[in-house]
This record gives sequence, structure tokens and C-alpha cells, in this order.
Amino acid sequence: MEDIILKLENITKIYPNGTVANKDINIELKKGEIHSIVGENGAGKSTLMKIIFAIEKQTTGKIYYKGEEINFANSMDAIANGIGMVHQHFMLIPSFTVAENIVLGAEPKKGAFIDKKEAVRVTQELAKKYNFDIDVTQKVSELNVSAKQKVEILKTLYRDAEVIILDEPTAVLTPQETEQLFEQLLQFKQMGHTIVFISHKLNEVKQISDRISVIRLGESKGTHEAKDVTIEKLTELIIGRKLETSYDEYRKPVEHPEMILDVRNLSFKDSAGVPKVKNASFSIKGGEILGIAGVQGNGQEELIKAITGLLPFQEGTVKVCGQEIQKMTIMQKRNAGMSYIPEDRMIDGCAAGASIQDNMISTTYTKNTLSGKLFLKGKTIRKTSQDLIERFAVKTNSEKEKVGALSGGNIQKVVVAREWSTDPKLMIAEQPTRGIDVGSANYIHKELIEMRNQGKGILLVSADLNEVMALSDRLIVMDDGKIVAYFDSLKGVTESQLGLYMLGVEHHSEEEIRRACYE
Amino acid sequence: MANIMDSFLSATFLFIVIRVGVPLLYASMSAYVASIAGIPNIAVEGIMIFGALFGVYFSAITGSAWLGLLGVILIGVVMALVMAFFTMKMNASPIMIGIALNLFATDFSVWLLMLWTGTKGTTATLPSKVLPTVNIPVIKDIPILGEIISGHYFLTYVCIALAVFIYILVYKTPFGLRMKACGLDEHAAESVGIKVNKVRLIAIIMSAVLAALGGAYLSMGYMSIFSSNMTASRGWTGIAANAVGGGNFLIVVLTTVVFSFAQGVVNRLALTALPSELVNIIPYVCVMLAMIFLSIKEMKKNKAN
Repeated sequence: MEDIILKLENITKIYPNGTVANKDINIELKKGEIHSIVGENGAGKSTLMKIIFAIEKQTTGKIYYKGEEINFANSMDAIANGIGMVHQHFMLIPSFTVAENIVLGAEPKKGAFIDKKEAVRVTQELAKKYNFDIDVTQKVSELNVSAKQKVEILKTLYRDAEVIILDEPTAVLTPQETEQLFEQLLQFKQMGHTIVFISHKLNEVKQISDRISVIRLGESKGTHEAKDVTIEKLTELIIGRKLETSYDEYRKPVEHPEMILDVRNLSFKDSAGVPKVKNASFSIKGGEILGIAGVQGNGQEELIKAITGLLPFQEGTVKVCGQEIQKMTIMQKRNAGMSYIPEDRMIDGCAAGASIQDNMISTTYTKNTLSGKLFLKGKTIRKTSQDLIERFAVKTNSEKEKVGALSGGNIQKVVVAREWSTDPKLMIAEQPTRGIDVGSANYIHKELIEMRNQGKGILLVSADLNEVMALSDRLIVMDDGKIVAYFDSLKGVTESQLGLYMLGVEHHSEEEIRRACYE
Repeated sequence: MANIMDSFLSATFLFIVIRVGVPLLYASMSAYVASIAGIPNIAVEGIMIFGALFGVYFSAITGSAWLGLLGVILIGVVMALVMAFFTMKMNASPIMIGIALNLFATDFSVWLLMLWTGTKGTTATLPSKVLPTVNIPVIKDIPILGEIISGHYFLTYVCIALAVFIYILVYKTPFGLRMKACGLDEHAAESVGIKVNKVRLIAIIMSAVLAALGGAYLSMGYMSIFSSNMTASRGWTGIAANAVGGGNFLIVVLTTVVFSFAQGVVNRLALTALPSELVNIIPYVCVMLAMIFLSIKEMKKNKAN
């Protein structure tokens, strides 16, 4: 028998309100393997991890750790026994140094005092041992996301974690940082650590894992050797049906499209005077999706913010359906036909503490269908939001539920539903499926295609090349704030071809790029 | 006028600054200890009132200033437990609890006053004791320095000792690091096994005892009686000083020193012909200037981000 470090046997978790989060789950973790757990949002992965980490207690079932049945009283107990968890939302204190964050709760002491020198020495040594290039005397607030994640991992290693659970670690990383993380994970594996890897990104899962366990609707759908299972097969297990990879069959031609968005010579400099968007020109007609591809941080974000008005652009013109919008208020822009699915749904996309209903009407509540002269029309509002919940298949018990209590995919559906409900001419979709499960992503993709078929113009920005390529009718590539390539059709264009433009190795001529504008 | 200016440079003036500054420092430290652990204590004023009243009462019924002081500490702990119960067990907002305690203390103290003395004004009829003044040997004989730092009340030296204690606790010990962690991000603190509620309970007890001692200083030294509303917004001044400090203890202390100087100036100018209403606003103007300074600092920081 191989060395099983952690074994979950018939784990069932029923919450007091009757929700069955896990049902008879059986998973075995081998010592020194990278074991992925995949499933849709709300499939029960998080609950399962919380049970292992003793944040939640299973209703029935047994957990064996190193051959013995265990019953951790709390997370402290789990940590003390060598289980570490890197949470999706970092548990770091920004104003503390890296060393302070790592030793917090288990500080080296000299008498009654903290031995700060020792703390720095120990953490530095730890970082060195595991090949982390990090200055432990720096404040965490000065670190970028990937470095913060390293601090989180170091925290678990400082506490001698043998099993490290990583909850969606790559959701916040760039592709390069992900590669780096994977190298480190492989190193941990060689040093005998067991890694539990949770992710939505199946190609990553397949690449890094030794074995993969699938959970769907709270039930385990088996553990598979990563080398023996295809991504298509995994997808099928996760969502319980086959998934379309191409949306071409859904596309319908649109008759007599009108000009929706016309951007000319747009330039933007940040507050430090650094040019972020350089002389960008392109246009979109009704019934098409214009994709913007590029490595993150090459001006896409600023371009979108300039168009939506979140940042003031300095030069150029932006017209929506023929109207110049630079001086308009957000409300006027919306009235002109613009709508926007922001990149960060929690910060810009919704009010997490407000109800689904309130979020859904937040762009339309001034319309006389929803509001009288003095009072809101409660009944109509309820009906409208219930319709939207049904239309966009948001998983919830009530329109009164707080948006923050929904899973990521469902929050995103609420945002998309709200933006759709304004009946826009132009839909700006920025990373519309980031960090959400394949099922919800697929749903949102089809909605975008549907809007396109209705004659709306769609501007799509995504860091996920597969997404841009699957959805776009036309495509521009941005590098260093400039549009460096334009494709009026994606037929025959490959990922690696686009990669060359994204990395600035190649670029199109001025004439070719100028074709991104309709005259 | 030159006369007045001269008096600001004298040793007596600095002695007065310390004398009026001590209750402010107690209040600032009280606000500081609670806020860095993540439970803002805005009941400093109310707890000071109780500290002042119960110090007088306990010393009067026991006939001992020291037992009176013990009573002060006890009443501080009781107030802390009330706050902890509502904020941590019942999940009430610490601001609401703070407001409630302040209102309660202001009026309930007058009621107790009526009960114990039959008057609404002071405890002058109670045979209360005061804590001794301390003449520091050797130092008291040094010219100028001796005049300034020797001969203060017992609680003045306790205050200074507690300030050193808090500095060491917050910046040099594991418990201090954990306190700050609880205040900055309780989930992060929890995730590494820190018992957030326990840390906060200790912080609240420290905070309330500090405020109570500040009150006792007023009624068992600075004056020898309790009179209604004798704290005169000192608790709020302490909260303002803590806000200016933004988590940095040395800045909190420094701000308190500035406020103390302002209060010292008031005491000096009170002897002149200047209208007392005008003079009395000096410390409050100082607090307002400090708050403006604070908000400008915040605005700049927000802009930089």
C-alpha cells in the first residue's frame, strides 16, 4: 500500500439550514503528490477544505491523518499537526513586515520580548531554503500579489506544514507568475510536501497535478491520474454534460449594422505622466464582438477606464452611437447606450452587502417603469429582479439575498444581468469570466454572443486568450499601450501567432492597424 | 503682557503642563490601547467620570485612599466587561456601546451623587481621601528639573510608568504584535490561531482601567472632591489625540503633550483679564487643528494610492 497521508472517508456535510454541501465524499491524498480538486463554484470544494482545516465540522464521515482517525478541535490544531492553508483572500497584515507576518502567532522570543532579529533570521533562512526571492524586512503592503502569495506559503512552511492546501492560487497571478509558482510547487513535492491544489483552470490543473479529484454538486466524481484524463473529459465530469468549445454555430449575421463605438487617437497618461494608452483608434459596429488581447498591464485596463469614464483621457475622441461622450456623466453615458461589466466584480461590479434585487436595479431604478414620482415601485422591482434571476440562471433562494453571499460565478451573473437589463447598444465586457467556473463562464459567453446577435456592439477584454479567440469577430492586440496588430477575422489565427504580437516580437504595419477603424 | 510671556518659560509653567496633561495622557492611552486591538473605545469620558466618582466614594467609605484606588481599578474592569459583553458576545457596535456608556455615566453619576450626598454638585460632604504627592529624593533638590518633575501626585508617576509599559508591550512583545494584528485584520489574526476575543478583552480591560485611573487622578489629587462633569471633555481630547496618532504610540503621546501645553496656557491666562470663555477654547481649537491636520494627511495618502 502506498503512503496515504490524509484520507477522507464518506464525508457528508449538511448545514443547519438543510443545504447539503458534501455527500459521501471519499478522497485519499498520497504523501508527496500534487492533488487537484476541481469542481464548479458551489460544488462543495471550499466546504471540504474547511472540514480538513477544521473550520467546519463534518456531519458524518471520518478523516484519517497519517493512518489515525483525527478530530481537530480547530484550525490551530490542524496547523499544529502539519496542515497549512493558503486562503484565496490573503490573510496578511499589510502594515507588518514579511517576517512579522510569517511569525505572527508563533513568535520567537527572548525573555518576554519578541526576538525581532531571530524572526528575520529564521524567515530569511526559510525563504532561502525554498528558493523564494523575497526581502523579509519589507512591508507586505509594498509587495505585489505574487510576492504576497509567497508570504502566505512561507507562513505555512514556518509552521512545518506537510500538507499545504492552496485555494485557487493562480486566480490572481499572471501566466509568468503561475509558471514560477508551479516550479516551486514541484520543488515542495520533491521535498516531501503534499499539495492540495484547487483551481478552475483545467489546463493548469492538468499540467501541475499528479492526480485530480472531481466534485460535482457535493459528490465526488472519482479521482483520476492526471496523465490519463483529458481536459474535455474533466470538463464533462465537472459540469455533467459535454461543453461546446466553439461558439461559431451560435453566431448569426446582423443586417445593416450601425456604428456603435468609434474611438479615435485616444491617449492616456497616468498621474505620474507615464503614457499608458498611446494613440489608440478602433471602431465597433452592431452585431460584432471586438476582442482586445494582450499581456495584462499593457494598457487594456486604462483604455477601458478611459472609455467608461473611470479615468479621464487626455487626447482623442470617443463616440458612442455618434455622440461624443467625453464630457458626459456616467448616467448620460449609460443613456447613450453604454454598459459595462467591470473587471473586478467585488470592487466595481456590485455592492456586496446589498441584496440581489438592489444590485440588479441599481442602473435602472430611475426609469419610470421602476420608479414613480416619489416612491419606488416595489412590486415591479421584485418582478423584474425575479425575471432576471430566472433569465440568467442565478442560483439563489431569494432576490433578497445579499450578493456577497453568492458564489463568484453567480455574482458575475448578477452583474451581467444588470448590465443586460439596461438594453445597451454597447457592452464593454472586461474579464467577464475571470475566476468563475466553466459552467457559468460558458453561460456568460453564450449571453454575450446572444447580445451580439441582437445587434449590439461588444468590446471584450480578457487575459484568457482562449476566451478572446472563441468569442471575437475581430481582434486587436495591445502591447505597451499601443495597438500592435489587427485581425478582421480569427479564421486560421493560432494562439502562438497571437503570442508573438502580445510579447512585442512582431507587429502589423500602420495601414493594417488602421483597418481597425471603420470609415 | 511681557509678564505673561515670561511665565510661560518658567519651571512652574512646565509643572502645570504636567499637572494638567496627566489626565489627558490617561485618556489618550485608554483610547489607544483599545483602538489598536480593533475595538474603538469612545466611552473614555464616561469611564473617567465613574473612575472619579467611585474613587471618592470608596475612599470615603473605607477611609483609605489606597482602597479607593483599588475600587477605581475594579470599576474600570466592570466597565470593560460590560463593553466586552455587548461588543464581542452580543455583536453590538462598539460606537453604540460607547455612546450608551457615556450617557449613562454622565447621568447616573449625578444620581449617585444625590444618593450619597443629597446634592447634585459635589462630594464635598464625603470624607474622601486623596492620594499622596511624591517628592522624588535627590531629583527634588536639582534646581529647575526638580521643580518641574518632582512633587507631583502619585498617579502622575503611575501614568508615566504605564506609558513606558504600553510602549514596551505594543512594540516589543508578542502580545503587542498580536494586538495590532487583531486591530488591523481580525481574520488574518484568527487564521494563525490568535484568539482574537481574548486579546481584545485584555485590551479593553487595560483601556477602561486607564480611563478610570485618569478619572481618579482628577478627584483624588488634582482636586479632592468629585463634582459633576469634572472630566470636562478630557476623554474626548484623548480620543482625538489617538486619532491623530493613527496607531503610532509616540505620535499619540506627542499630540497629547501639545494638547497639554494648550491646557497649560489656559490655566495661565485664566489669571489675566482676558475673557475666560475665549481662553477656554484654546485646547479645543488645538484639537480641531489636529483633526484638520489629520484629514489633510489622510487625503494625501489616499491621493498617493
